[in-house]
Amino acid sequence: MTMPFQPNDFQFIDPSQRVDNEQVRTSLTYWQDTWRRLKKNKMALSGLIGVFLIVLFAVFGPLFTPYGYEEQQTDFANTPLHVEVFEIADDLYVYLTPQYRLLVVEEDGTFLYRLDQTSLDFANKQFHFDYHGEDIMVDYTYKLYEDLADEGIDYSINFRGVEYKTPYDVTSNKTFVLGSDNVGRDILTRTMYGARISLTVAVIAAILVLLIGVTYGAVAGMAGGRVDELMMRFVDIIDSIPLLLYVILIMVLVENTGLNTIILTLGLVYWVGMARLVRGQVLSLKEQEYVLAARMLGVPQPLIIWRHLIPNAMGPILVAMTMMIPTAVFTESFLSFIGLGISAPQASLGTLANDALDAILTYPFQLFIPSITIAFMMLAFNFFGDGLRSALDPRLRKG
Amino acid sequence: MIDMSDNNLILDVKELRTTFYTHMGNVQAVRGITFQLEQGDVLGIVGESGSGKSVTAMSIMGLVDEPGRVSGGSIHFLGTDLTKLSDSDMNEYRGKEISMIFQDPMTSLNPVFTIGNQLIEVIRRHTDLDKDQAYQRAIELLRMVGIPEPETRIKHYPHQFSGGMRQRAMIAMAISCNPKILIADEPTTALDVTIQAQILDLMVRLKNQLKSSIILITHDLGVVSEVCNKVIVMYGGMVMEKASVFDIFDDPQHPYTLGLLKSIPKDVAGERRRLVPIDGTPPDLLKPPTGCPFSPRCPYAMGVCLREAAPLYQLSETHQASCWLHHKGAPAVEGFVQAEEVERHE
Amino acid sequence: MQKFKETLLTSLKAVRAFFENYYVRRVLSALLTIILIATVTFLMMHAIPGGPFSRERALPEEIIEALNRKYHLDDPLWKQYLDYMVGLFTFNLGPSFKRTGFDVEELIAMGFPATAKIGLMAITLIVVIGIPIGIISALRQNRPADYFVMFIATLGVTIPSFVVASVFIYVFAGLLNWVDAFGLNRPSSYIGPTLALVGYSLAFVSRLTRSSMLEVLRQDYIRTARANGLSRFKVIYKHALKNALIPVVTYIGPMIAAILTGSFVVEKVFTIPGIGKYFVQSVSDRDYTMIIGTTVFYAVLYVVMVLLVDVAYSLIDPRIRLGKKSE
Repeated sequence: MTMPFQPNDFQFIDPSQRVDNEQVRTSLTYWQDTWRRLKKNKMALSGLIGVFLIVLFAVFGPLFTPYGYEEQQTDFANTPLHVEVFEIADDLYVYLTPQYRLLVVEEDGTFLYRLDQTSLDFANKQFHFDYHGEDIMVDYTYKLYEDLADEGIDYSINFRGVEYKTPYDVTSNKTFVLGSDNVGRDILTRTMYGARISLTVAVIAAILVLLIGVTYGAVAGMAGGRVDELMMRFVDIIDSIPLLLYVILIMVLVENTGLNTIILTLGLVYWVGMARLVRGQVLSLKEQEYVLAARMLGVPQPLIIWRHLIPNAMGPILVAMTMMIPTAVFTESFLSFIGLGISAPQASLGTLANDALDAILTYPFQLFIPSITIAFMMLAFNFFGDGLRSALDPRLRKG
Repeated sequence: MIDMSDNNLILDVKELRTTFYTHMGNVQAVRGITFQLEQGDVLGIVGESGSGKSVTAMSIMGLVDEPGRVSGGSIHFLGTDLTKLSDSDMNEYRGKEISMIFQDPMTSLNPVFTIGNQLIEVIRRHTDLDKDQAYQRAIELLRMVGIPEPETRIKHYPHQFSGGMRQRAMIAMAISCNPKILIADEPTTALDVTIQAQILDLMVRLKNQLKSSIILITHDLGVVSEVCNKVIVMYGGMVMEKASVFDIFDDPQHPYTLGLLKSIPKDVAGERRRLVPIDGTPPDLLKPPTGCPFSPRCPYAMGVCLREAAPLYQLSETHQASCWLHHKGAPAVEGFVQAEEVERHE
Repeated sequence: MQKFKETLLTSLKAVRAFFENYYVRRVLSALLTIILIATVTFLMMHAIPGGPFSRERALPEEIIEALNRKYHLDDPLWKQYLDYMVGLFTFNLGPSFKRTGFDVEELIAMGFPATAKIGLMAITLIVVIGIPIGIISALRQNRPADYFVMFIATLGVTIPSFVVASVFIYVFAGLLNWVDAFGLNRPSSYIGPTLALVGYSLAFVSRLTRSSMLEVLRQDYIRTARANGLSRFKVIYKHALKNALIPVVTYIGPMIAAILTGSFVVEKVFTIPGIGKYFVQSVSDRDYTMIIGTTVFYAVLYVVMVLLVDVAYSLIDPRIRLGKKSE
C-alpha cells in the first residue's frame, strides 16, 4: 500500500498552499431565490403558462371573434362542432342541424341561410323543405327502424329524385368554431366573455379579500392580547359554518344580483381565511428582532406593519391570493349553477354551464365547453399556487 | 482472521465505510474506520459535525437509510458481521443486544402513546414476559433510572415529563432488555448542564450494574474526560487518533487532537487560558480531499499529507494515531514521537 | 354554618372543574355558535325592507296582509325572534312559503334519507379508500405509483364536482347507457353521485394522508422505534399512523362541509330527491322560510359534526385533552 515517497514529502508546506475549501454560495434575495425555484418546478411553470393563456383568452379573445356575446342567430341554433355537409347538386350544399333544420351552406360548411320547413310527415317519417320552389326531403326512417339500422346512418337527404346517404364532407363548424347555443349565440364568444367575467369576479374578489383580510389580520396580530383574542373569536364564529352558506344566504336576500353584488359578497365572506393567515404571520414575525429594533427607534405601529411585517409575510399572502382565485371561480360558478349568479344576458362560465345542463344528453358540448374552461382555469391557478407555495419555502433550499 | 481469544471483545469494527449515493454525488460519510470495544468500556467518539461520528453509530445499528448504506468493511458483534444481516435479522439485535439513545428526548418519544405503552412494547418485543410481568418490569426500569413515583408516571404521556425525565425514560427503554452495548448519540447536548451530569452518572452506573459497554458520541471533550475510558477522535470520516482517555488528554499525538484540546477554555488542570481556534472549515464529503482530511487545516502539514492519508501508527499498547509525523522520515516535532505502523489485517 | 360553607366551597369547586373539562367547553361553545348563527340568519332575513312578499309581482293589498298575518310577519320583532328560536329548538321551522301545505321540517325530513345515503357512502369511500391510498403513496414515495396517484389526486382536487357529474352522466348514462341518468332507483344510480361528491375530498384526503405520513416518518420517534428493534409493520401502522392521522381527522370537519355543499350540485345534476335539491329549488323559488330553515339545519348539522370530530381528535392526541403540562 505504501506508494513510493517523493523527495518533498516530508517537508512542511507553505501555509499559503493550503486549500481552503470553504464553500461560499452566491447570495440571492428572497425573491430571486423564489423565482429560481419556481422555474425549476414543472407543475408551477405549466400553471403559470395556463394562467397566461387564460388571461389572453379572456381579455383579448373577444377581439378576434366576429360576434358579440348577445348576438342571436336563431336560425342557426344548437349547431355542434362538426357538421356533415351534403352535396345535393352542383354548387348546392346543405346541412341538417340536430334540431332537424335544414341549412344551405357553402362547400366548406359555412352557414348561409335556413330553408323553410314545408311539412312534417309522421307517417312516412319525412321532413320536407322548400328550396326556391323545389322540394328537399329528409328521410329519417333509418334512425327509427331496426332493420335499417345496418345502414349506419340516421337519415338521408333526397333532392331531385336522388337519395344521398353519405355526406360529402364532415368538417368543422366554420360559422361557430365551438358551436352555437339554443338561441344561436356563438359559444366560443360566450365562453370568452364568460371567462372574462369569471376572471374579473375572481380577481377583484381576491383583491377585496386581500384588503379586508390583511388589515384585520395585521391589526389583530399586532395588537395582541385581549384585542387579538376578541377579534379572533369573531373570526372563529364566522368560520364555524361553511362559508358557502353565507354566500348563498346573502345572494338570496339581496335583490340586485349583479356583478358587483357577487364580488362584494365573496369579498365580505372569504376575508376570514386571509385574516387568520395574516394574523398568524404577524404574530410570529413580530417577535423577530428587527421589529423590536424598529419599535425601539420609535417607529409608529402602522408603519411597522406596513414596512416590515407585510413585506415579510408577502409570500404566504401571495399564495393565499393565488389560491383564492380558483375558489372564487368555483364559488361564482356554483352560484350561477344554482341560479343565484349573474343575470342574463351577461353570462359567466357557471351560467353557461347551468343553462346547458338540461340539454346534456342532446347537446353535450354546450355543457362541456364552459365546464372544461372552468376546470382549466382552476387547474392552472392551483398548479401555480401549489408551485408558488413550494418555491417560497426556504427550507427546501438546496446547494 | 478475527481474534476471538480475547473474550472481552464485544464489538470489532474494521475499515467501516458508509456512503450516501445522492443525485448530487456520493457523500462518503465514513471512510474506513477501525476500532474495538471491550466489555465494560465507555468509548467516546469525538469529532465536529460532519466528522462521521453519528453515521458510524447508525451504521452499527443498521439504521442508515436510503440513499445511504454501508459500502465497505465489517462490524463484528460477538462474532456476527452485522453488515451482512438483513433488516429483519437486525431487528433481533436492535433494542435487545445493542441499544441506542438519541440527542433530543423531546422529539424522540412518540407523543401519542404513554411512556408505559412504549416501554412495555419494547420489553415484550424482545422477551417472553406477559403483560403483567412486562408492566412490573417497566415500573422497575423507571425506578432504576431515577424517575420518582414510577407507578403513576408510567401512565403519563411524554409531554408531561421534563427534558431530563424524558431522557431517563429513553435510557430505561434502551436498557430494558439488558443490551451488551448502549450507544448514546449526544445524549446530554439538549439538556441543562446540571442535568447533564446526572444523566451521565446514571448511564455509567447502569453500565456497571448490567455489565454492558457504552459508546458515547459527543463533541464535548469535557463529557469525555468525565466518563470515558477510551477515546476515538474522528475527522472527515476517518479516525485521527485512538487512545485511552489519559493518553488523549496527557499526550495527544495528532495535530487535530492537539487543536481540539487547545480550543477548550480550560485546560486539563482546570486553568483558564486563551482560546486557540482551529483555522478553516470541515471538508466537503462530496469531494473528499485526497490525502489526510485534516491536512488543509493542519499546521504541520507536509507534502505527503496532501497526497495520501497516513496509516495508523502504534504509539503504545493503547495508543494509535494516523499522522505522517510519526513516520521515521518525518521531521521531529516537539510532542510527537516516531513509531511503527500498525499491521493491517486484510 | 361551617358545614354549609364547606359544602358550598366543594360544590363551587366541582362546578369550576366541570367547566374546565375540555368536552363540556366544546359542547357549550357549539351551542353558543348555533344560537348565534340562528340569530344572525334571522336578522339577515328581517333586514330586507318591506318583507319578502313585497318583491313578488304585484299582489293585492289584502293578500299581502293575509300572508303577513299567516306567517306572523306583523308581530313585533322580538316576538318573531322568540317564536323563531323556540321553533328551532323544537325543530318546528314553520311552513314553506312556496309549497303550501308543507312545513319546512317535513320537507327536510323527506329529503334527508336520500342525502344521508349518498353522504354516508361518500364519507365511507373517502376514508376507506383515501387514507390507504395516501399511506401506500407515502411508502412508495417517488416511485411511479406515487406520481400517478398524486397526479390523479391533483386533478380530483381541481376539477369541480359539476364537471365530474356532467361528464359522468354524459358518458355513462348517455353514451354507454350503463346507468340511469337520474334518480336513486337502482343500486347503480349511486355510483355517479357518489363519485362526483367524493372527487374533491377523496383527492384531498389522499394527498393529506400522504404528506402527513411522510412528515411523520421523518420524525425522531420513528427512529427510536426502529432503534428498539420493532418490526416494520409496528413502526408504520402503530407509531407512524396514529400521528399521521391527526391532521386528517382535523380535516374531516371541512370535508363534511365540502360534501354538504357538494350535495347541492350533485343532487341537482343527478336529479336526486334530497335536501340539497329542495334547497336549490327553494333558492330559485325564493322560498324564504325554506331557505332559512334549511340553512340553519345545515349549519347545525355541521357544528355537531365538527364537535364530534373534535372529540375524536382529542381521543387520538392526548396533548389536547390533558393540556400541555411540564414539570
